[in-house]
Parts: sequence; C-alpha cells; structure tokens
Amino acid sequence: MTTSLILLCLFAALLEMDVTYAFQTLVSRPIIAGPLLGAATGDLMAGVQVGVFTELLFTDISPLGGIVPPSGVVAVTIPLFLHSLGVELYFGFFLGVACSVLYSFFDAFLRKTRFTWLIFLEKKIGRRPDGITPIIAASLLLSFLMAFIFISVAARLCAQLMFVVFPYLTPKMHFAFRLAYMAVPWIGLAALIPTFRLKTR
Amino acid sequence: MTFWLRLNMFFRSFFLQSGWNYVRYQNLGFAFVMMPFLRRLYKQDPDMLPTVLQRYLEAFNTHPVMASFCFGAMAKQEESVARTSAVAEYKEQVAEWSGARRGLSITAASIGDRLFWGTLKPLTLLLAVLIWMTLDVNFFEVDRPGSCSAWYAFSAGAAAFFIYNSIALFVRWQGLKIGYESDEKSCFGLTRFDWNRTIYKAKRIGLFCAVGLILFGLYRYFGRMNFSLEFMARALLAAFFILLSFLTRRLRIPNVYLYLTAAAVFAVACMI
Repeated sequence: MTTSLILLCLFAALLEMDVTYAFQTLVSRPIIAGPLLGAATGDLMAGVQVGVFTELLFTDISPLGGIVPPSGVVAVTIPLFLHSLGVELYFGFFLGVACSVLYSFFDAFLRKTRFTWLIFLEKKIGRRPDGITPIIAASLLLSFLMAFIFISVAARLCAQLMFVVFPYLTPKMHFAFRLAYMAVPWIGLAALIPTFRLKTR
Repeated sequence: MTFWLRLNMFFRSFFLQSGWNYVRYQNLGFAFVMMPFLRRLYKQDPDMLPTVLQRYLEAFNTHPVMASFCFGAMAKQEESVARTSAVAEYKEQVAEWSGARRGLSITAASIGDRLFWGTLKPLTLLLAVLIWMTLDVNFFEVDRPGSCSAWYAFSAGAAAFFIYNSIALFVRWQGLKIGYESDEKSCFGLTRFDWNRTIYKAKRIGLFCAVGLILFGLYRYFGRMNFSLEFMARALLAAFFILLSFLTRRLRIPNVYLYLTAAAVFAVACMI
C-alpha cells in the first residue's frame, strides 16, 4: 500500500503543479485527471465518475485574482485511493472534497509565506540576474514537495479514519452520503447555466 | 524579435506563475519570461541589466494565457527605454513603460478571465460530458457507473484538452507577436480581436448546450424508469438540488459548501 500510495501521490502532486505553478494546460482538471488516476488505481469508470462530479461541483469557482479554488486533483485523488482500498465512492468523495477545500487554505498560506523568502532572493537577482532560473526551479520544487506532502498525509489520514469509522457506519449513514453524492451532478449542471449568463454586452 | 527569441519566451511563459505570492503576484515569473529579451537588448551594456530587472520585479498580475500580449508589448516599450540618452527622456519612457504595464495587465486579465475561465473551460466541460453521454457512459448511476473501453473513457477528456489548448497556445504564441508589433493606439494589439463578441457568442452556445445537457441528463436519468416511488424520490431530489444551487449562487455560496452541508445534514438527519 505504501509504495502505491507514494507513486499515486507523486503523480497527483505533478498534476497539481499544472493548476497554477507550471504550464496551466489544464491536464489537472478533474475530467482529465480523474480517468488518469482512475486507470492508475485500477477502476477507470470510477475515475470518470469522480472526475465529472468534481468538475461539475467546482464549476462556479474560478481562480480570479488571488482566489485559490479547492483543488480538483486532491478532490479526485483521495476518493480514488480510498476506493482502491474498498471504501465506497460516496464516502471517499465527501472526504476528497473536504480535503480539497483544506488544500486551498494551505495553498493560500504558502502563497502568503512565499513572499518572505522571495524578497530575500530578489535582492540576489538584483546583484546577479542569472540567479532567476534557479530561484524559479527552487520555487517549483518547493511547491511540488508541499503538494506531495499534503496529498500523501491527507490520503493516509483519510484511509486511517475510514478504517476506524467504517465498522460503525450504519446503513442509514450509507444512505445519507449516497443521497448527497447523487445530488452532485444536478448541483453542478444547475451551476452551469448562470456560468453562461449573457452579461458581456 | 527573432523567431528563436520568441520561442524561448513562449516556453518560459509556462512558468509565469511559479513564484506566485500575495504581495507581488507574478513578478518573478514575469522577470523570468523577459530575461532572454533583456539580455539580448542590453548585450552591449550588461551592467544596466540588474537595474532594469528591478522594474520587472515590481508587482505584476494578469491572466497566464493573455500575459503573452503583455510580454510582447513590454519588450517593445523596453526598446524605447533602452534607446534613450538623456535622463529626463529616460524617466519619461520608464513612466510610460510602467503605465502601459499596469493598464495592459489589468485589461488582459479581464479578457482572459472571462474568455478562458468563464467561457472556454465550462464549454469544454460541457463538450466532454456530452461526448461521454453520447458514448453511453452513464455516470449518473451511483451504484454502477457501467463500463466502457479505455478509449471511450479518455476520449472526452482528450477532446476537452485539445480544444482548450489549441486556443490557449494560439493566443500565447500570437499574443507575443501581436503585442510586440502593435502600439498603444491599438492597446498593444488587444483591439485586433473583438473579444466581447467572441465571448458573447461562446456563452450563447454554452447556454444552449447547458440547457440541452440538463434535458438530456433528465431523459437518461428518468427515461428508462417507470412511474414509481423511486422515480418520484429521484425527481424530487434532482429538482430540489437544482433550485437550491440557483439559490446558493444568488447568495454567493460556492456549490462545494452546498454539497458538504447537504452530506452533513443528511448524515445527522439519518442518525436522529
């Protein structure tokens, strides 16, 4: 489990880099990351479902200005990892969405603190302009490491939590989380209409 | 600007947000992208480079794709700064450079946010969902999402990926060229395109597709069911959450919190 978890989290952290720090080709968006991670965890269709549900749920939040939206990669990785351990998707999805919201606060904190060491390095750039490339590389590496640590710790904690809680989950609890999970596509589809409202003219 | 220099800046533009921070935003990435151009421009006078670079390390924030217009325009403006000989003229050119950078970054961000985040991304999502539904991938069924070939599973995401990136890469590449070749009269090339018209048309297509998708989803979800208690329960659930989603949108509450609250409320209600 540990090796596969590390490999999965490395892959997820790489995808997470695409969200903000490098490329922005949107390979990290849930409808693409979902099937990729689903294939990696052994259930392609679960990946498609979680990917679509996550993307629909996150449609109404965009990274405008300094807004840090919940991470789609985190929201997809955790349920698929838990699903590979035998946990139902509806429980995993709830934990994944909660962790993705936590990750947005974590990323916002990193962006705030990054300036304190960047200001020190910028003075160095002023003296030696060629130093900018190593600083960019170091910044990327640090962001990657932070994403990897967060995702692996969150996945591990969620797995532990499910193993402890699972025997006590009654059929009623299963029904409750399943019902909320069934509502996700409708919440997302309804959010698409206001997204396309014609206010540009 | 030579082809190779433009290519170098184009590749570097993918790392614009690598040092994103809440005080100076994309300043580090901006300096990183402009570095090959500045090094070439100040080849005869490399001692100037650290001073020039300080200006590029000031606060800068725009949309990552539309930023290419800023890179091209700032390169053009920097050439004017480098050509100056008198101190007064230098100060005037630097002030003009700063004004252009601030104005252009705000305009480009506004267009980019509306075009890429507000229109193209949801539009490609709709396309992907429609492709999956047409290929009979039923992700509405929670218990059994069904199965399909890997080709089908990846095709919709791949279509969304290629459509989004073909437009984004085109804008990134052309923006550098147009921004460099245009002047401030045409807002450094931004007025060459009718962005508002493009966004308006794309949103109209998106609106039709979104309504169509909801109807298609309802048909797929309920079409094969008989009128029964389960049918009623499902219809009520869908209608309730569609209305609730509209309401929370008006109250500016993100859907993520609506889902988390719904799950928590259902869990508590079931426990009671």
